[in-house]
Amino acid sequence: MFKGWIRAAQLRMKALAKRRQLERDLEDELQFHLAMSEEKLRGDESRALARAAARRKFGNATLLKEVCRDMWTFHSMEKLLQDLRYGARMLRKSPSFTAIAVLTLALGIGANTAIFSVVNAVLLKPLPYPDANRLVMMFLQAPALPLARGDMGDADFLALAEQQHSFERVAAYKASDNGFTLTGDGEPEEIPGGQVTAHFFDVLGIRPMMGRTFSPGEDRAGRALTVVVSNQFWREHLRRDPQAIGQSITLDEQSFTVIGVMPATFHFGERGADELWPIRQTEAPHQRWPYFLTVFGRLKPGVPLTMAIADATRIAQSVTRQYPVSGVAGATAVPMKQVVIGDSFTPLLILLGAVATVLLIAIVNVANLQVSRAATRRKEMAIRTALGAGRLRLVRQLLTESVLLGGTGGALGLALAYGCVKAIVVLGFDLLPRVDEVSVDWHVLLFAAAVTLLSSILFGLAPATRTRAAKLDESLKETGRGGGEGAGSRLLHDALVVVEFSLASVLLIAAGLLLGSLVKLEAVSPGFQPEHILTMRVDLPPVHYRKASQTTSFYRQLLEKTESIPGVQSAAVAMSLPPNLLEVENPFHVEGQPYTPGKSVTLAEEIPISEDYFRTLGVPLIAGRFFADEDRAEGHNSLVINQAMAERYFGGNAVGKRVQTGDADPKSAWETIVGVVGNVKYEGLGEKDQPTMYVPYYRDGWAPWFVYSMYVVVKTPAEAGSVAAAVRSVVGSIDASVPLTKVQTMDELLSQSVNAPRLGAVLLSSFAALALLLGAIGIYGVMSYAVTQRTHEIGVRIALGAQQRDVLRLVLGSGAKLALIGSAIGAGVSLAFTRFLSSLLFGVSPTDLLTFAGVTLLLMAVALVACYLPTRRAMRIDPIAALRHE
Amino acid sequence: MADTNRTGELMQGTLDMLILKTLTRGAMHGYAIAEFIQQSTENVLRVEEGALYPALHRLELRGWLDSAWGLSENKRRAKFYRLTPAGERQLADEKAHWGRMTGAIARIMETV
Repeated sequence: MFKGWIRAAQLRMKALAKRRQLERDLEDELQFHLAMSEEKLRGDESRALARAAARRKFGNATLLKEVCRDMWTFHSMEKLLQDLRYGARMLRKSPSFTAIAVLTLALGIGANTAIFSVVNAVLLKPLPYPDANRLVMMFLQAPALPLARGDMGDADFLALAEQQHSFERVAAYKASDNGFTLTGDGEPEEIPGGQVTAHFFDVLGIRPMMGRTFSPGEDRAGRALTVVVSNQFWREHLRRDPQAIGQSITLDEQSFTVIGVMPATFHFGERGADELWPIRQTEAPHQRWPYFLTVFGRLKPGVPLTMAIADATRIAQSVTRQYPVSGVAGATAVPMKQVVIGDSFTPLLILLGAVATVLLIAIVNVANLQVSRAATRRKEMAIRTALGAGRLRLVRQLLTESVLLGGTGGALGLALAYGCVKAIVVLGFDLLPRVDEVSVDWHVLLFAAAVTLLSSILFGLAPATRTRAAKLDESLKETGRGGGEGAGSRLLHDALVVVEFSLASVLLIAAGLLLGSLVKLEAVSPGFQPEHILTMRVDLPPVHYRKASQTTSFYRQLLEKTESIPGVQSAAVAMSLPPNLLEVENPFHVEGQPYTPGKSVTLAEEIPISEDYFRTLGVPLIAGRFFADEDRAEGHNSLVINQAMAERYFGGNAVGKRVQTGDADPKSAWETIVGVVGNVKYEGLGEKDQPTMYVPYYRDGWAPWFVYSMYVVVKTPAEAGSVAAAVRSVVGSIDASVPLTKVQTMDELLSQSVNAPRLGAVLLSSFAALALLLGAIGIYGVMSYAVTQRTHEIGVRIALGAQQRDVLRLVLGSGAKLALIGSAIGAGVSLAFTRFLSSLLFGVSPTDLLTFAGVTLLLMAVALVACYLPTRRAMRIDPIAALRHE
Repeated sequence: MADTNRTGELMQGTLDMLILKTLTRGAMHGYAIAEFIQQSTENVLRVEEGALYPALHRLELRGWLDSAWGLSENKRRAKFYRLTPAGERQLADEKAHWGRMTGAIARIMETV
């Protein structure tokens, strides 16, 4: 039975491919039969009579052929093809409708697919490690600081590795801000990477492509130095050598043996850019800080997160008992994916909501156009009904047309999304986590297909439901008078326009708020003069600069030689840079305050700088003095603080006061405040002014260990970039092994610091503009249609003495009414929803009256412009022609 | 799909069986099959073209017949049908079924 069915299907396939052949064969076979019977009958009759008799005897040849042909074909599939062909013909017949509908849908589906591909990569996909949901990160907590997710120190990691019960294994990673300096392979080069402990790759669950990963115990002090390299590093620096394992490379002036090469699919570190993972060898610590270890582990199967949290907390508290001054209260554990996603959840969800809204408007728009078309096609439908098409057949035809329309729009949208995804990856590279994983994969394709199908059905249903209203006799009798469209259909049109305008209003308000925030943010004064400032970063290799005098000598030479470059006004070095490149915060203790170790710590940004830093940046002096040569003298512990700190902790009168900095310790040295300067933003333009302490970079305790990496700032009278090459050769002339990186002007730094809010505002504004455009097209379409439908009525009104302005009021009035109702609903909805935006807003209230009013005015203006053409057409109606229109 | 009114006096299953039986004599075209049935039943059974060709195509699709184009006795291009092994098995089945049916019917007709 089944075999027979397959055979039949095969034969039918063959017949389908040779459609004409089947047709000819049938014809030939029946002709042959006719000829045979004709010959037989010819004996007693003439030729013509014989043929007639043969035909009579034969019966209805056409029907017979049809019956036989049907047998050879896939009936329902051919019907579908027929519907598709018919649909395509109908769509071709109204090209402007088709173009608008397809474009509208392509924009809607494209935007959704693009944003979904980002959401898919960032939020939905598991991290690219086996069983990634068992990966958990651990952080120290110190509510007094306040510190909710603080990195761990060596003491914490070692205690955790020894005492935990929840994990198969734990590992630590120490990010290297500037990577490792690779020497011995041409120019010294900074290669991104991070130090890792022995079980790092085991916890992640990734095997090397070549060689091995670290073995247990390899992370103890005194063992040989080994490194695992990325596939990219192997290709670019080891020349794809199959014998690379066992070779030595020099990183930060130390020799490491390459023991493994990771597969090309393995990525780790910030934006997955790491290329080197040297072993981190830990000695038994004698203090808890510094805290710079990212610690994570792989949960044992079935162990819940709560157990890991309890484990981490218990161990951190036991470490605190060992080091009571640290102020750490406990620890927490967070799924690794949650840490990686960070705070991109809300913005992405808002964007997804925005594009979904755009798509909804697009669907409403196409539905609207379809309803108008359905009304003009009522006669066609009526005739087809009269010719025997069932209602189901007509609905099927309409839905086929919709799917055809949607499919075309979807395909175009997918192409659009493909381009957008590439743009998003470029634009969002520094702003989005996991951006390297964004791609159009099969999840995205499936999403696009589902959205396309769903949209097609949604906008296809509107006209399909209207076929019921197409009463056969009435439609055929109808003479094309405007009254043909019932009140129900007009109400549907109006409702759809109102929906469009309310959705567009919500989007516009959200975009308006974000744009307002961006404008406010960019107008914030960073606290200095950013013009004509060049910034760079130097990284001294620690092995060559073991003594403070060595670092100090390097920087002094660098600054002297740089200031002597023609065209350089002044130059300075600093550990942190405005507007958002803060490196260090430090606790401090004001002299005379009660002293309780481990409790109520006050924190300030602390920045080692050279003497000319304030002059170079143009930071104003408020009181006292800047640093001077006298501060270099032994025992001179001078400090300059900012105005915010002076006001908050010294009542505005800080010069001459003393503080202790660093971890609470009554024995540490006192530092004297010699000057107060203006506030400078170091944590982003949107942040409040924080207390800041400036300290000379050559001070004990900072040099040499903390000043290996410093920013160089150079003030020029003209274009800042012009001196970059000269500074580079200065650095090379002092020490050729020191790399100079991140060469940028201060203006660029300022602009980049608002990249994230700018991208959000730009994206949301584009979507809102799209929504506005679609809304305008929608109201234009509906109003033109209404004018066409009411030509007769308007003609009668004019004939009865209505003035042009009455017609104007009639058409514009009804358009404006719809727009106003829509905007009002949109504003109401926005009032309820914009508070979800508040984490993204700066200096603008989520219910900002100006934005709400502005958007409503904008929508009204757009509605009036969109209604202008139909109104003009209505005003020019010639009553005679309109009445003859019958 | 097929117009059942046109099967005339012959029930569909019966026509199928007669076609299969006729083709045990060798490959034949549609006209010859109709003629043969008509002549061998001495014009008692007349095969309507409207039933014959749908039946032939149906049997071919089921795999009981095979077809090929060839030259007829008067040198015309004609479509010849031939019994396939599956068709022979089907004929045997139908023959047995037919025997049981007629036997049963005959017994009723004789006893009453």
